[in-house]
Amino acid sequence: MELLTLLFILLLSLGAGLLVQWLPMRHQPMPTYPQRAPFLGGGTPDSHAWSRYHVRYYPMTLLLIAFEMEMMFMYPWAVVFVETGMKAMMEMGMFLAILSVGIVYAWREGVFKWQ
Amino acid sequence: MFLNELLLPVLMVTFMLTVGAYVVAVLDRLIAGAFGAPQAGSVWLAPMARGAWLMTQHANATEAPDWQAWRLAPALYLALAAIGLAVVPWSESLVATDLVTSVVLWGSVEALATVVIFLHGWSANALLPLIGGYRYVALGLSYILISMFVLIGVALPAESLQFTQVVASQEALWNVLRQPLGLPLFLIVGLGMTFWGPLNLADSADLAGGTASEISGPPRLVWDVARAAMLVAFSGVAASAFLGGWLGPWLPGPLWMAIKMLAVLLVLLLLGRLLPRIAPERCVTLMWVVLLPLSFLDLVWAGIGALL
Repeated sequence: MELLTLLFILLLSLGAGLLVQWLPMRHQPMPTYPQRAPFLGGGTPDSHAWSRYHVRYYPMTLLLIAFEMEMMFMYPWAVVFVETGMKAMMEMGMFLAILSVGIVYAWREGVFKWQ
Repeated sequence: MFLNELLLPVLMVTFMLTVGAYVVAVLDRLIAGAFGAPQAGSVWLAPMARGAWLMTQHANATEAPDWQAWRLAPALYLALAAIGLAVVPWSESLVATDLVTSVVLWGSVEALATVVIFLHGWSANALLPLIGGYRYVALGLSYILISMFVLIGVALPAESLQFTQVVASQEALWNVLRQPLGLPLFLIVGLGMTFWGPLNLADSADLAGGTASEISGPPRLVWDVARAAMLVAFSGVAASAFLGGWLGPWLPGPLWMAIKMLAVLLVLLLLGRLLPRIAPERCVTLMWVVLLPLSFLDLVWAGIGALL
């Protein structure tokens, strides 16, 4: 039932956000093409914005995926933590320590810099 | 059943969304005024006047934007803020949706915010918004882990992923004292998530407004309201996770919650006005090398505290 309520709230707020845009803009004329050129501080656009570009932090996103997988284990772990006690602490500590080696390695490789 | 389960939660969230966004706008203007920024007209009426003005303005268009995504992104950000507000507990029973896994849901709101903000920057088909979105993804992917570790830290003593349980577990001592690293780290996450002040890398002035540099009129209104509402949702989560939510003497629970949310909002808005914007390439290193290990420390601290 809570999920149904959440879905209802999601749809309503999404609808409200779209309606506030759609209602006043229904009858608005489009700006002319010279006006529709992208704002570049007065410069003229030489290329499409959607050209290929280098994602400098791409290796960082790969490191993130390792940690995101870890988060999946961590949610159920958090619920049973007190019950399981020190054992749970040690297990997650080891897991985190191994992942932290990954951070140190990535740091040495310059993953967190935008070269 | 229909009234209690659907209508009341929706009314609650709508109320918090509108009033919250208005409070953020007023507070930010008051703080700016206190720091000497010139004010035109009444501080209390200015947000409404601006809202009405944006409603009647013409919406800008770029040459060939991704129309659906461009209009959808502000509405989606608003929807995410509404979902965040829906899980904030005002008292033991006064919660819009008391989901058993509300901490996980809030985590997914944070993750999806990154997607929506990038969508907003990308869909305009202009360089400055795209650069804003591109930068934001680097920031968003860096802060999300810190946020998750800190939130898992508050879930440990509660033995639950439910915000009402998290608040109930702070009966004896609030998490802000029990896990002293938690709240400062979480506030940084909050500034990042709403790209406010020092962590405003998406919509910053050096990009002439970043992802919002090509929008005007109604889409801009929705985007601004959504940002303010997200700030309110965040302060609600921070108040329940660290400041004991509705707990407190003398006053009724919801009132305590409102006071704590206002306090968090005030701190965030003050930080937003006081601190300079951080360079994005430094920000990634700072988050991964300094703040993430600090959040590990917070988790270990929370774990030991929960076992003792």
